Amino acid sequence: MKCRKCKAPAEVSLPSHNTAFCRECFSIYFTRQVEKAIRHHSLIKYGERVLVALSGGKDSLGLMLELSRLEYDVTGLHVDLGIPVSSPAARAKVEGFCERHGLKLHVVELAKHGLPIPDVKQYINRPVCSACGKIKRHWFNRVALEGGFQVLATGHNLDDEVARLFANTLRWDAGYLSDQGPCLEAESGFARKIKPLYRLTEFETACYAFINGIEIHTAPCPYSSGASFTGHKQLWANLEYTSPGTKIAFYDGFLKRGRPAFALVDQETGAPLAPCETCASPTSTGVCGVCRLGITVAERRAADPGRQPGPGKD
Amino acid sequence: MITVFIEPDNETMTFVRLNTVLMLQRRLGLRVNDALVIRGEELLTPDCQLKDGDQIRVRKVMSTG
Ligand code: SF4
Ligand SMILES: [Zn+2]
Ligand SMILES: [Zn+2]
Repeated sequence: MKCRKCKAPAEVSLPSHNTAFCRECFSIYFTRQVEKAIRHHSLIKYGERVLVALSGGKDSLGLMLELSRLEYDVTGLHVDLGIPVSSPAARAKVEGFCERHGLKLHVVELAKHGLPIPDVKQYINRPVCSACGKIKRHWFNRVALEGGFQVLATGHNLDDEVARLFANTLRWDAGYLSDQGPCLEAESGFARKIKPLYRLTEFETACYAFINGIEIHTAPCPYSSGASFTGHKQLWANLEYTSPGTKIAFYDGFLKRGRPAFALVDQETGAPLAPCETCASPTSTGVCGVCRLGITVAERRAADPGRQPGPGKD
Repeated sequence: MITVFIEPDNETMTFVRLNTVLMLQRRLGLRVNDALVIRGEELLTPDCQLKDGDQIRVRKVMSTG
């Protein structure tokens, strides 16, 4: 197979685009897709500071590298979840990556804030992944706010977005269908949230990571019950296989024709937001959900006979 | 014989008589863009010929949580 552009031997075959590329031309293609996403949806404006959420996976690290090459002012943010074995491994990948490429990194250690995920799992009576997701989003928003970042970028790719859109569509969830997309404008104390990789598939971000020698964290979280939307992703892989180009057509079609219609319907507005009394994050409940989680975990930990600090202390 | 290491399962398989990457993908039940197929430092497209003694890495791309 030859590169469609320069006729050198191809390394990446992309049936969805009816093309194949050598690694140099693939890198150009990858950059073009990111630039196109940024330009078409005004994801980043000139001079804005961008905080990039880094999990240690191929998508987030690839995104960070690409945005830095495009000369955006990027800073990485890693939330250390405090899970034995898996968190130190993920953190080491992120720190090594940022050091190698000379990129700024901010790390939040949940253990220092009283909310390591193993304690959340032990003391909070709800699915750990929903609490964990909430805590991570809280810190992304909070660091963006406190650090003066206008933009918060995540590594969601086309497969993530299509699977999520499909799930929202199956439920006809008008709320989500009215604002799912690569850009959620800043409002009431939240930074703008962007997904610059939304035009690129999981396969393409994996190729990019490999070609750029990015070492990624792949060991699954011990609390994971498998990837979210795995069934939907399989279904879409089959659709894409039989009709190449279906994924991006479905997603782009939604952005152009579906979302505006839902946005018209979904005019309901939530309760007004005010700064959390404890941490100043925007919330509609006085003390925000994550601060309340922190209080509950602290109380139950203190009442747990198995977790007393030692004899003679209270 | 061709040795294939599969990630992230960390499984090793060996094959005799396997001419192309496409044949390997079919044997593993993978579609073209389900996994990276790696030989040394290079990525292989489905039409690439495999030869005796090749050490191949197959890296599945679907994220696992
Ligand atoms: S799988 Fe692990 S890291 Fe992911 S949301 Fe659940 S607890 Fe958090
Ligand atoms: Zn080329
Ligand atoms: Zn709070």
